[in-house]
Amino acid sequence: MTITTGTDSHPTASTIMHPHPKVLHPTDKISTGVRYIMKYRYRRLPVVDDEGRFMGVFGVNCLLRLVLPRAVVMDKGLDSVPFVRDSLADLHRRLQAVEDEPVSLCMRDEMVRVSPDTPLLETLLTLHKTRASLPVVDPDSGKLVGVISYFDVGEKILAAGD
Amino acid sequence: MGHTTELMDIVFGLDPQWYAGTVFVVSYLLIMSDRINRAIIAMTAAGLMVLGGVLTQEAAIEGVDFNTIGLLTGMMIIVAITRQSGVFQFLAIWSAKLVKGHPWGILVMLSMVTAVLSALLDNVTTVLLIAPVTLLITDSLDVEPYPYLFAEIFAANIGGAATLIGDPPNIMIGTAVGLSFNDFLFNLGPVVAVLLPAMMIPIYLIWGRKLVASKEARQRVMDYNAVDAITDKRLLWQSMLVLALVMTGFILAHDIHQEPATIAMFGAALLLLISSLPRSPGEQSKQLEYIFSKVEWITIFFFVGLFMIVYGVEKTGLLELLAGEMMAMTGGDPGLTTISIIWTSAVASALIDNIPFVATMIPIIQNMEAVMGGPEALMPLWWALALGSCLGGNGSLVGASANLIVAGFAERAGHPILFLRFMLMAFPLMLGSIAISTLYIYLRYL
Repeated sequence: MTITTGTDSHPTASTIMHPHPKVLHPTDKISTGVRYIMKYRYRRLPVVDDEGRFMGVFGVNCLLRLVLPRAVVMDKGLDSVPFVRDSLADLHRRLQAVEDEPVSLCMRDEMVRVSPDTPLLETLLTLHKTRASLPVVDPDSGKLVGVISYFDVGEKILAAGD
Repeated sequence: MGHTTELMDIVFGLDPQWYAGTVFVVSYLLIMSDRINRAIIAMTAAGLMVLGGVLTQEAAIEGVDFNTIGLLTGMMIIVAITRQSGVFQFLAIWSAKLVKGHPWGILVMLSMVTAVLSALLDNVTTVLLIAPVTLLITDSLDVEPYPYLFAEIFAANIGGAATLIGDPPNIMIGTAVGLSFNDFLFNLGPVVAVLLPAMMIPIYLIWGRKLVASKEARQRVMDYNAVDAITDKRLLWQSMLVLALVMTGFILAHDIHQEPATIAMFGAALLLLISSLPRSPGEQSKQLEYIFSKVEWITIFFFVGLFMIVYGVEKTGLLELLAGEMMAMTGGDPGLTTISIIWTSAVASALIDNIPFVATMIPIIQNMEAVMGGPEALMPLWWALALGSCLGGNGSLVGASANLIVAGFAERAGHPILFLRFMLMAFPLMLGSIAISTLYIYLRYL
């Protein structure tokens, strides 16, 4: 796989991406994913298989889904539960019940992504719509080649003015 | 009809009975295969009945039972508005707290709530409202949701059998024969009242006695504040008022000379009107769009197409032939014919959609009137068809739409209901309920 980094006049996703992101594997335990998210304050982490192919993301939304009752987060579930008086201990009980399960259980497998060659503006528009870090995936091999976060973009834009 | 007969002679140069029969059988096979949406199949087959010359467009429209369509649509609108008040969640939580969070008590109470709601609303709506709350309660109790969902499926199908509006087969039979809400309640209510507790016995023996929840888990349920489930008190009172008026209308329908569809649709219009009053025109449109999106249009269009298909087949005289064959098999004996109908309907409804089955059986039974000795003599047959088709739905996961809805919830909640596991328990239980119903019909009508 050869990744071109674009040019100054035609920057692409690869120009602004962070090429060595922290990743999870589908078989990693949920407790590992939770520890990473909490420690590094990531909103979400990419999940890749042993060959580095992008599988999905595991993030704070997964985490929230795990601590909420299934009846609330499932499709056609309850819209609101103002009558429930769960405590933090109850939330922890739900998390504990799944912490040894693999992250694949809660991973989102369909999500927006860009290729290394996606033009800069299109990449930023996708980032704006996604409102979270964006995986950069090689369309031929399906391998994860980087991640673009708001901070990566911010740094690059500020640096361009220096 | 004369015009239709002329047209029938020129059905692509084919014998009309063969043509209509083939369209009918192929469409039913396709519906059973679940490969194409049933509404699409019904609409296509209805179109073929008209294009093939079996029916004119006027005759096809004449075949649609708009009383069934209006009743279904009206009730769907009323429920769509009412559910926004949170009253159904309130009922489920209130009932769970009434038994102090005891797991078996909750199973019984949720089943009772499901049965009562199923009798007053349609089954699918009822389980859509109750299954998610059940999953929430079982999560708090830290118990397996399977026995609860199983019992609710049974309660929905049994409860729905008690009234005219409880289950689509009853709506179809009621409107075709001119039976009132009270007719269903007085004739089927008693057996339903026996069936519900009777079904709880095996459920208790298999699961109920093993259901245990810790003190902390029960406390979690007791900590629920049922009143907080009511999210819109104004809408709650408006909905309750309209629901009470609609139910009174159903009970007095014969005395006030109104059809159930008129009562349901007017109730829907009234509730839409009073719930929309405080809103701006723009908000009213948005709310109306939302409420109309909650009407199950797939079911409605399925019914429209189905009525046309069956009417087409009926017009060719095919169903009269089938009725004759059936009478020949039972020797025209009222008892034997009634018992054959309840058991055939039950087994058929367990395996295929009971709506097309009942749509076909209605004209077949109507064609037996002369041999059986008038409309009064047909009454046991109608009750047999209603009980067989409603209760038969309990026989397998595909027996009723409500079953599939519950199975869908269970799967999404991570507790899938497997087809065979369900059927191994449900089919014998369903046969038990049919045996009790047969005894009831025999003692009361034969």
